Parts: sequence; C-alpha cells; structure tokens
Amino acid sequence: MATVALPTKKPSLITPGFLGWMAFLTLCIAIGLVSAYEVLTKGLSVTNMSNTVPWGLWITIDLSAIALGAGAFTLSAIVYVLRLKRFTPIVRLAVYVGFVGYTTALLTLVMDIGRPDRFWHPWVYWNVHSVLWEITWCITLYLIILAAEFLPVITDLPFFSRWPWMRRFAHAVHKFAPVLAVIGLGISLLHQSSLGATYGILRSRPIWFKPSMPIMFILSAVAVGPAVIMAIAFITEWATKRATVPHDVLRAIARFSGFGLLAYAYIKMWDLAAVTYYGRSPQVNQGFAMLNEQTPYGFGFWVVEVIVGIVIPAVFFLSSRFNRRPVYLVVGALCAMIGVVANRWNVTVSGLTVPLSYSPGVLYQSAPGSYSPSLAEWGVAIGVIGYALLLLTLGLRFLPLFNNTHDEPSKS
Amino acid sequence: MSKKKQRVTVELTRRDFLVLGGTAAGSIVAAQVLTTGVLSPFGGLKQRQVTGEEAPEKASSEYHWGMVINLEKCIGCEYCQRSCSATNDVLDDKPWNIVVEDELDNGQRYFFSRPCLHCQDAPCVEVCPVQATYHREDGLVMMDYDRCIGCRYCEVACPYDARKFNWADRSDVNPYIPTWGTAEVERRPRGVVEKCTFCNHRIDAGLAAGLMPGVDRDATPACVNACPVGARIFGNLKDENSKVSQAIANNPTLRLREELGTEPSVYYIPPKKEA
Repeated sequence: MATVALPTKKPSLITPGFLGWMAFLTLCIAIGLVSAYEVLTKGLSVTNMSNTVPWGLWITIDLSAIALGAGAFTLSAIVYVLRLKRFTPIVRLAVYVGFVGYTTALLTLVMDIGRPDRFWHPWVYWNVHSVLWEITWCITLYLIILAAEFLPVITDLPFFSRWPWMRRFAHAVHKFAPVLAVIGLGISLLHQSSLGATYGILRSRPIWFKPSMPIMFILSAVAVGPAVIMAIAFITEWATKRATVPHDVLRAIARFSGFGLLAYAYIKMWDLAAVTYYGRSPQVNQGFAMLNEQTPYGFGFWVVEVIVGIVIPAVFFLSSRFNRRPVYLVVGALCAMIGVVANRWNVTVSGLTVPLSYSPGVLYQSAPGSYSPSLAEWGVAIGVIGYALLLLTLGLRFLPLFNNTHDEPSKS
Repeated sequence: MSKKKQRVTVELTRRDFLVLGGTAAGSIVAAQVLTTGVLSPFGGLKQRQVTGEEAPEKASSEYHWGMVINLEKCIGCEYCQRSCSATNDVLDDKPWNIVVEDELDNGQRYFFSRPCLHCQDAPCVEVCPVQATYHREDGLVMMDYDRCIGCRYCEVACPYDARKFNWADRSDVNPYIPTWGTAEVERRPRGVVEKCTFCNHRIDAGLAAGLMPGVDRDATPACVNACPVGARIFGNLKDENSKVSQAIANNPTLRLREELGTEPSVYYIPPKKEA
C-alpha cells in the first residue's frame, strides 16, 4: 500500500532551490563544527558564561528545542489516547519533529557540560532528588519511545524490502503505539514541567523560586509545540507544491494552540499578579527593580513574550478572519515560537542577573550578572540549528511523513 | 429484589478478585514506597517537624566539623583567603574563601568573610544529577571531581556563591605560592566544579595521625591557622567542649540566610554595634 504514492514522488526531488538550501545548511553546520572544535579543545572559557552567569544561550536552545518538540507528545496523545482520528495524518510529522527537537537538545547539552566524556554519568550514578537527573532520564526514555513510534516509517522505505523481518518487527512494535503514547504523555508532562522546576525549586534565587514555574513551562510547550508542526506542514506544502495534511486539520491544530496560548496567558498573568501582590518580598522587589533598571526586562516580557508570543498568534489562530489563510497561521506560529524562545532566554538570564545577597550586612552582595553570548557560542548555536533544519529537510524530502496508511485505525 | 442484589455479588469472577486484590496490593506497595521509601520527598521534613527546630542531622559520625567566624575580630587582612588559595591551589579568578568590606544598617563598617558553609541541607547536593557533590558522615559537603559532569547546576543553586567552575585547563603560576603556603592538593581538571573543602585532606590525615582538627595546627584548615587575630575557630560541633561549641554557647551567633533552611555548619559572631 505504501507503493501507491511512489510514482508521483519521483520527479523534482532535487531542484536548484533545494540544492541552494542544502548548501546553506551545510555552511551552518560547518560553522558549528569549527566552533565545537574550538570549545572541545579549549574548554568553556571560549564562551562568555562565567561563575556569575554559568548558563546562557545553549541552555536556552535546550529548553526551546524541547518545548518546540512538544507537538509530538501532544498530537500523539490526541490521536492515540483521546482517539481523535482526524488528526492521524499529522502524527508521523509530529513524532519526527519531536525526534529532531530532542536530539538537537541533547547535542547542545553535550556541548554545554564541562565534561562531555561523562555524558553517561546520570544513567549510572543516580540522584533521585535532582530534577536534572530526572530530566536526563525522561529525555532518554522519550527519545526511545519516539524512535519506536517512528520505526515503521523507516522500515517501510523501499531500501528495507530486503530485510522483511525488520519491517515485521517495526510493525509489531507499532501495534503498541497507544501504550507508547500514554507512556510518552506521562514522561513528557513530567520533564516538560521539570524544566521549569529546574529554576522554580531554587530557594536562593528570588525571582525563580515559585511553584508556577513548571506550570508555565508545560503550558507554553503544549500550546506552541503543535503550532510548530502545523507551520512545518504548511511550509512544506509551499516548498514542494504538494498537499501534505488536510487544511481543516491544520486549522483545528491552530485553534487548539490558540486556546493553549490563552490558558498560558491566564497563568502568566495570574503569576505576575501573585508575585507582585501576594508573594512580595524585599528580595523579589529588589530583583525586579534591578532588572527593569539595568536590562530591557519589561520590553522582553511585555512586547516579545506577551504581545508577539501570545496575543498576535492567539488572534491569528482563533479569529476566523485570519485562520482561514495559511499565511496568518504560519506567521502566528513563528511569533509563538519567538515568544517561547524569548521566554526561556528571559527566565535563564534574568534569574542569573539578579545578584545573590547573603551577607549579614547591608552593603555587600555578589556582583550582578551580565552576559551576551560569545562568537563560539553563536557558532555552535548556528551549527545545531543547521543540524535541526537539515534533518527536517531531509526527512520531509525522503521519508513518507504524510503517507499514513498504516496508522489508519480502521484498517489495522 | 434481594435476589437481584445477591446476583451482583455472585458475578465477581476469579479474574475480578485478582484485579481487585492486585489493586489493593499495588496501592499498599505504592503507599509504602511514597510515604517511607526512598522516593518520599517528605522524609526530611517530617523529622524536622517532629523535633521542632532541630535540623535533620546529616553528620552521622562522632564528628561534625564546623567553623565560627568572629566578625568582631576580623581586620580584613585577607590572610585566610591567601593561605587558602595557596594550600588548595585555587585560581585567582574567584577564591574559595572571600573577604569583603561590609556595612551594618547603622553605617558601621566591618569585614565579612565566607568559606563554603558546608550546609547540612545543601541545595547543591540536592540538585546534582550524578551525586558528584555529597554529604560526608562528618558533615562536610564534598566534591567528587571524577564524577562531576560540569553541568554547573550546583553553582546556580548555591545561595552563598561558594562554588566555581574550571572554565579552562590550568597552566597559571599561583602567586600565593610559596609566600602563603604550598599546594597540598592537586589542581582540578578542566570542566568540573570545585569549592572549599574545609581542608579535608588535613582533617583526614590529622585524625589518622591521632591529631585533633581545630586543636592541632597540622589537622586544621589553612584559613584558621593563618588568621593573625584568631577570628576563625574550627572544631567538632558535636563535642560540647570543643572551641567551636564553646564559642557558640558563649556568644550571640547567626548563620547566613537561615530562613532558607540550609543549616550551614559555619556560625558568625556579628560585630557589636557602636552606640
């Protein structure tokens, strides 16, 4: 049944535009490799991170890649757990994008730790009370689940016809897709929120220490993740001039994201009010006063996170005047992505900018942090983004991501 | 009517019994694991609530090493910082042991210094994903440089800014050697986090040689030995006759950011306010 679509696929696999795009991505990856070599040989001293701001651009990329990959678990849950079958055609793409996002995050994480040769330590040396340990485990397990969910797509390639047992194995595994989706849902809810808890549990950091942190992280991921998948489907259609997923399905996903963004906005505003009026402590007040004085914190929060990241996409996704036009949906998704990335950056950097104060006196406190990424950091960032886009492009070109006959529940 | 009710009970099959029994057994096991097992997040809390103010004692041996820093006596000479940087071969970008000038709310100046506080409920130990930083039985918070992956979460989590990261390979000449001491421990490799150890190499070797840390100089942290005015006192908090315990008993003391519940092993005697 997979062969039906093949003859129409043959032409126009490799066009000049495609080659140019690939050349651009190769350049990005080359920049990344050069920068990675610099970092691995000279150590993290080539970054602008310091003992005051030990986390920066790369952590932002980790958090963002995982949040933007959240469409995989959200849409898998919608199809396999809630059994909303009309969304079936998008599940393969969602799982693939999730896979790309999570491998991107792991790649960046390995660059970010001081001892990349010890990346396997969290699997062997356990600290069950550490959120970071839990996140590492969840991400590893979730990558395995994504791989299992995606296996049939790979083995269905004509190349694998010579090993029929592989195909049978992959389809046997895929029979458990609903179970995998439930486990994936649990693990995703856990680690997506734990990424917020990474900051939220730190009692010494006044503007991070609040229970709303994990809630805001998971809501933003659930809202924006599916919108990313929707935008990729539309952009693929424009690039290949071939239908991908029915537009009413994509519009429904956009509406889901729109409501998700409203829920996120509600919690975000509640959090703002709670911190400002209920949870007011001298340290919190000082922290925010300092941020507003010395950094463009207010601009980043209100303009980028709220207006660009929430209001514009919510209007584009929910108002029927806009959401019938794909261009608005794609622009809305891009805005929402910018909002999430900006949020992860603001959380990380602003929290570290606020100085620690622990002396019994009134004068001394540690120096406020200041940080802007170095050339090597940008280079690695360009490299991993290039890697993610390359994997997406190749997958969309050569994998049957929209050819979903196996997932039709009625036929199995 | 009663017949109908009876039939409902009869309809329980063996399978139903197994399911219900399994559910009950599973719930009991889950309850056990979650309330008293290793996964329970409340273990430490409960103990503290029962015993009132008393902290959960992490130091299970007969020793709990602690320090008293008398801010009334400190003259800000930085000898402690220099001897520490020499003894532990610390790179000068951020000393393990800081000395800074500070001010009381009435404008009175004094000097403030800070080693690692060796908290008994240490945020760094809690967040480390690989247990590279851990509690020793004698209360010390230690680093395992061979296990640390360099994620720097402990550095972000420490309320007292007591941790530093090795951003590059070391090839520097330590300006404090030999004037302020000789390096007694190895330089840490690139990519791991480090911090004050209370000179655990002296404590361990000293105890093995029959010396008492805090009393015998060879078993006492370098900063304590170097202080020309005796502003730093070191010793066993569990021994009520030790110098630290006596200093705590006979002076008003405070610990840094006590409200965070970190239970530091370092006590401060605050400077007296001038009238």
